[in-house]
Parts: sequence; C-alpha cells; structure tokens
Amino acid sequence: MWFRIISRLFTSLVVAWASVTATFVALHALPGRIQDILAGDLEYPGLREAIAAEWGLNRSLPEQYFDFLFRIFRGDFGTSYVLRQPVIEVVGSQLLPTVELALTAGVLAVVIAGGIALLTAGRGNFSREIASVVELVFASTPVFWLGILLLMAFSFNLRWFPVSGAEGWKSIVLPSITLALPTAGLLTQVLREAMEKTLDQPFVTTVRARGVGEFIIRWRHVLRHALLPAVTLGGWLIGGLLGGAVITEKVFGRPGLGTVTLGAVLTHDVPVVLTVVLLAAFIHVAASTLLDILYVLIDPRLRAQ
Amino acid sequence: MKNNSLLVNGIAIALLAINAAQAADAPVSGGSLTWGVTTEPSCFDPHRSSQQAAFFVARNYIDSLIAKKTDGTFAPWLATEWSISPDGKEYTYKLREDVVFHDGEKFDAAAVKANFDFIFKPENAATAVSLLQTFDHAEVVSPYVVKLVLSKPDSSFLESTSNVKLGLISPKALEKGDLCGGGRALAGTGPFIFEGYTRGQSAVFVRNPAYKWGPGNAAHDGPAYLDRVTFRFLPEYAVRTGALTSGQVDLIEGVQPTDAPLFAEQPGFKLLVGPSGASTSFTFNINYTRSPADDARVRRALRDGFDLEPIVKQVYLGTVPRAWSIIGPANPAYNKALVGSWGNDIAGANRLLDEAGWTGRDSEGFRTKDGKRLSIEVGYPQPYVRDNRDILIQGVQASLRKNVGLDLNLRLITAGEYAKNNANGTWTIYPNTDNPSDPARELWDMLGSKGFLYANIPNPDPVITGQIDEALASTDPVRKRELTDAVQKRGVDQAFIVPLFAPSWFLAAKSTVNGLSFEAGLDSPSSAYDFWIAKK
Repeated sequence: MWFRIISRLFTSLVVAWASVTATFVALHALPGRIQDILAGDLEYPGLREAIAAEWGLNRSLPEQYFDFLFRIFRGDFGTSYVLRQPVIEVVGSQLLPTVELALTAGVLAVVIAGGIALLTAGRGNFSREIASVVELVFASTPVFWLGILLLMAFSFNLRWFPVSGAEGWKSIVLPSITLALPTAGLLTQVLREAMEKTLDQPFVTTVRARGVGEFIIRWRHVLRHALLPAVTLGGWLIGGLLGGAVITEKVFGRPGLGTVTLGAVLTHDVPVVLTVVLLAAFIHVAASTLLDILYVLIDPRLRAQ
Repeated sequence: MKNNSLLVNGIAIALLAINAAQAADAPVSGGSLTWGVTTEPSCFDPHRSSQQAAFFVARNYIDSLIAKKTDGTFAPWLATEWSISPDGKEYTYKLREDVVFHDGEKFDAAAVKANFDFIFKPENAATAVSLLQTFDHAEVVSPYVVKLVLSKPDSSFLESTSNVKLGLISPKALEKGDLCGGGRALAGTGPFIFEGYTRGQSAVFVRNPAYKWGPGNAAHDGPAYLDRVTFRFLPEYAVRTGALTSGQVDLIEGVQPTDAPLFAEQPGFKLLVGPSGASTSFTFNINYTRSPADDARVRRALRDGFDLEPIVKQVYLGTVPRAWSIIGPANPAYNKALVGSWGNDIAGANRLLDEAGWTGRDSEGFRTKDGKRLSIEVGYPQPYVRDNRDILIQGVQASLRKNVGLDLNLRLITAGEYAKNNANGTWTIYPNTDNPSDPARELWDMLGSKGFLYANIPNPDPVITGQIDEALASTDPVRKRELTDAVQKRGVDQAFIVPLFAPSWFLAAKSTVNGLSFEAGLDSPSSAYDFWIAKK
C-alpha cells in the first residue's frame, strides 16, 4: 500500500513538471516575440527591454528553460505589466477566497448528493422519479441565473444574506449553494446509479436476510461500493467548480481568481493567464493524486495488490 | 478673499448643523456610505488609468490644480490663481500654502513639478501623457509658484490641468513606484484617504480631517461630511438594483432605464440623471481609409439609411436624447446647427449606394458589387460594452439591413484584439464615448491626425486634421469656436462619424443621501466630498 501511495506521489510530481514544461513550450511556440506577448496591450518605451531583461530572453533556450523551472519552483511567477504588480501578489491575494468558495461548494455538493442518493436509490419508487427531475433541472441551470434567483429570494426580499463580498460566514452561503447545486445534480445521478447496481448484488440479499434495516444496509454497505465512480467523477468536478467560480464571483461581487482571470484574458495579461493555467494544472494534479490515494483507502482490493 | 468667505461659509454651515440638527436641509457630518459601482478600476493611479467609468473614484483622493465648472469656466483649487502668457506658451500657477499630502509631505511648487516630470517621462508609461502633447518642462519659480512651459501654444492645456489624470500625488509616493494597487501608498491631497482595497470586492476611503482646500466648484469647504465611503464592485445590473432596494448599499450608479421607475419618485429613494453627454456622444467612428468605407457615398448611406430616433427611444425608454454631433448637447462647445441636419433619408441612401455601384443582391438580401457583399464591421471591445450599447447597435444593424441592404457586422472583440487593430490602423468602426477634456482635444482624440484613433493611419483627411490642429494652437476663443464647430460639421457631412445618442449617468440612492451631483470635469458622478446623510 505504501509503495502505491509513494509511486503515485512521484508520478504527480512528474505531471506537475510536465505542465510547467508545456507552459514554457507553449509560450515559445506562440507566434511573435516573447516580449510582445508578455507586454499584452501595453506599449511604452523601455517596456520590451525591461521584459527581455527580466525573463533573460537573450540567453540560450535551455538556460531560459532551467531559469523558468527554478523560478516557478521558488514561487516567482513574474510581473503583470498590465497591473504593474508581481503576479504572485495579484493571484495570491485572490486564491484563498476562491478555494474557500470551491471547497464549501464541493463539500455541500457531496453532502447533498450523498443524502439524496441514499434516500432515493431503488428503481420504481416515486421519490426517485421526482428527485431525478429536480437533479436534471439543477444540473442544467446556468450558474449565473441561479445566483440571481437566489439573491432575489434570500438577499433582496428576505434579507437573510448579504448581496456581496467575502466578509463573515453569511456571505459564503448563497455563492456556495449557487455553485454546489449543478454539481450536486450531476453527482447524485452517478451516485444513485452506482448504488442501484450494488443493491442488485447477491451480498445485499445476504445482509438483508440477516435482518439488517434498509437504511443501515445503504449507509454501511452499499454507499461504500458506490463511492468509487463518484470519487472519479468528483475529481473531474473540481475543474467544474473552479470554472463555475468565475461566474459566481462575478455575480456576487466576491474577490477571487474568477475576476482576475477574466480581466487578464480580456487585457492580454499573459503572465497572469500563465500563472492561473499553471495553478489550475497543479490543483488538478493534487486533486487526482488525493483521489487515487482515497481509492486505495476505500477499496481493500487495491490495498492487497 | 474667496477662500476666506468659503471658510466662513463652511463654519456657518457647520454651526447651522449643530443648532438645527432637525432641519432636513442642513448638511450634517458623520456616517458611512456604501456605493455600488459597475466598474472595478484596473488601476487606481489616475496618471495611469484609462477607464472613464473609474475616474470618479479617483476624485475622492486626488485633487487638481484647478477645477472645471459646469459652464466650462474654471475655479481655484490647489492653485488660487493662474495666468497664461500672451504667446500662449507659459502657464503660471500660484499655489495654496496650507496643503499637505496624505503621507504628511508638503504640497508646493516642487511637488507639482515632480508630478509633471513623472508623467512626462516615457519610461513611466503614464497614460496621462496624452494630455502633455505640447508640454516642454515645468519650472519652480518660487516655493509656491510653478510655471508650466509648452513647446507651442495649446488652447486645451488649461483644461488639462483640471483633469484628474494630471492630479497631484505625493512626490514620495511617486518615487516608491507602482501605485496601481491603491491603498495608503497612493497619497494624494483629496478629501478622503485611501484606506484599503480588496480586489474583486471593494475599496474603502476615510475622511481626511485636515482637508480645508476644497475645489471652487464644490458646495462646501472644510473636511468632507462622511466618515467613510466604501465602493462595492457589483458588475451586474440586477444585483446593484437589488442591493439598493434591499438597503444593503446606499447609492448605486449605472441604473438600467427599465429599473429607473423603481427609484424615481418612490418613497425612500431618489433618482438622479447626469449630464447629457457633456463630453462626447456615443458615436460610430468610421475608419474612412478602409474599403468599402473609403467611399463617401457608402459612409453617407450608412449615416442616413436608418431612423435613429425610435431606436434610441426604444432601447433607453425615452430617458436619453439621440445625438446630432460628436460633442454632447450639454457641452458649451456643442454645434447646435447640426440639429436636424442629417440622417433618416432612406431613399437618398439607396440612391447613393446605387451610384457607388453596389447594385447586386445576394441570397440574404444584402447589396453586392463584383460578387462581394456590402459589409462593414463594428469592432466593439467587450470590456467597454455597457448600458445596452450593443443592443442599440443591433437595432441600427437591423434597420440598415432592411432599409438599404448594408451589412453592419457587429463583433464584440477583446481589448487585446482592439489594441492590435488600433496599432495597425485596421480598425473598422470603433463605437465609443471619449473621456472629457477640452473640446478641441476631444476632437483631436477621435479625428485628429495623431489622436488615438488615427495615429497609425497613413493619410487621414487633411482638411479635418488641419482644422483640429489650428483649433488646438489658437489662443483666440472666437476663432477656436469657429474651428471646433467646423470640425463637428465636417465630421458629420463626410460621415467620418455617426453620432448615436448622448449618454447620461443614472444614479439612484436612498432618500437620506444628500449632496449628490455630477462633475463637469469628469462628465460623471462627482466625488463624495459634498455627500451627507440625513438623520431621518
């Protein structure tokens, strides 16, 4: 088991290194001079020279590559020439609110999906039919629209939650529900599908025959089997959560990576875009590594191998 | 003298406030205000910002040498008086001696010189340098007298010194470097001090208790009334409206016309409609050097091939007027002779296109010549799209298609793509409103040979660029007026431009918020300096 985990950690390092390399290659493969690309929309005397000096563009390609690797390793992501600030300051200050939002929404989605699946799995029952319609609606509702609806009901009319910002727990409730519902919609469907398959297994009949109650069967025996596909999907959904955060943050006037990324793309702020891309790659690597390790813990068969 | 009387006034008002706390119309000090705004400034440093929609935020912490009044004349601010040499090349300002920057630095002639030097240095890449086209150098005449020397006469320069872009920042802060991120480091002399900024959420300002150098165009003197002003960035219309109706913010700007009835004459709220495009109207700027718009007949057909009035009325529910000139109707330099002189001549437009040889029709009903469709692109940078201007263009697009078979191809492009087109001179139609400045300078921006639109175009029309250059160099206001009138007329006659509507700023607030107004120098809401909150 430990060998499995360590080798998985090693491959994730390799993948992270590959994504840094890919970014470097992409930057150099783009048509046009690097200093023009990094300058974005800006044009003033001395800018190109300053960029060339900062990025060591007069040196050989391998030297530039190792320099780039080393800088990323040190956490130096360069300067945004558009915002005139170090990228790490721009992105760093926005990372926490987004992670907070995505995590809360993620946990919420898992709780909602688990709860609904647990209660409604089993073919031919009425609650399942209703639930699956609701899930479909949530899974296909645009985040933007959902956010505005929730704001109208719970902020503008009932005044339970503030409209914007990221101050205090109340301000995260509506955005995280907005972000969680579409994800939960998808997740429930997969989870229930898997649970229903498990419910058909002979061992469930055996457990039932021992007189164990229906809820305990589902909670202790069936759910665990159904977790594997859900966990796989969960890894993929992390990407969805980060993407959805862009819109959610905009609607709720929340600080976060969304606002920064959108602005950077629109103004050709390449250093910021590169950093966000790298960051997204790192988060994916970290998430999939974590999930693979979770597999090992969930599924005893993987441990035995 | 003037300042003394203002000060006395200020004290009188303050006393009144104490004596008659119940009187609803006497300003009271204290309280905080939250202002929901559309646009988050991408840079808070006024020397470097280029967002028209964000300058009114900077006005809270940045003062200028002089202030512009609504009638187009100027009032003292950090300079008590000023004079222009007879040859129009030397501007001398006598400064107040009691002004201190937020970081404790003294404001004097050396500080003014440091600011102009900073903006003028190319490596500092201050966008405000566009106002210093004719600037040569600054001289410290005495500790509180500064002289700004130009290389040639420039009638737009006085107004430029009232512009927030040439506002004054502590020399010590300038030295420290990049101030785009705001905060305490960005030390001006304004009525509010920059307390903090959370990207994507809000910027907070607190009262400058030492402030006693309010501009001559303000309603009071002395420190601001409010203790604290918070700008909340709420880019969505519906969210801003809901935030105000539910009392979570006190004031919003960028109210959609359809939402105006929620606030106008409603108990508990008020609605203010701002200056009607005192600066420039929202205008199609046609690149007349590129085919097919290099043919004046095609441009005129575009100008006359639709009825603008009902389109503007429909999109803005009658809240804003259609435009006749590129200069807005509230601007003293507006050429009124243009009213009713052009547009909505569909038969004429069709005749012009027939003459120009666009006689074929394709399967979709658009005119063609030599198998090519009559199509002109409108490249609208997405970050600048606001208050339904894209919908307005779609209305024009539908009319032109139906009336004359012209394909007005609206494309929302990125700011980067626009920058590239602009640098290569390959933009097609650029729709915009220009930042406020002197009228000759505004016309130069949009139609001048080295303005930001035509800078990279090899041979712009020599007549109109000549008139603009002469207006800028003229020291005679009467001659200058003749020239700016002529430029507006030629722009429309030649259909280099097609003015669409005169935008207004819509402000909505709780009824307890008082002292709201619009600033002539910005063509947008004024700073919160005069704002006060009634204690119901």
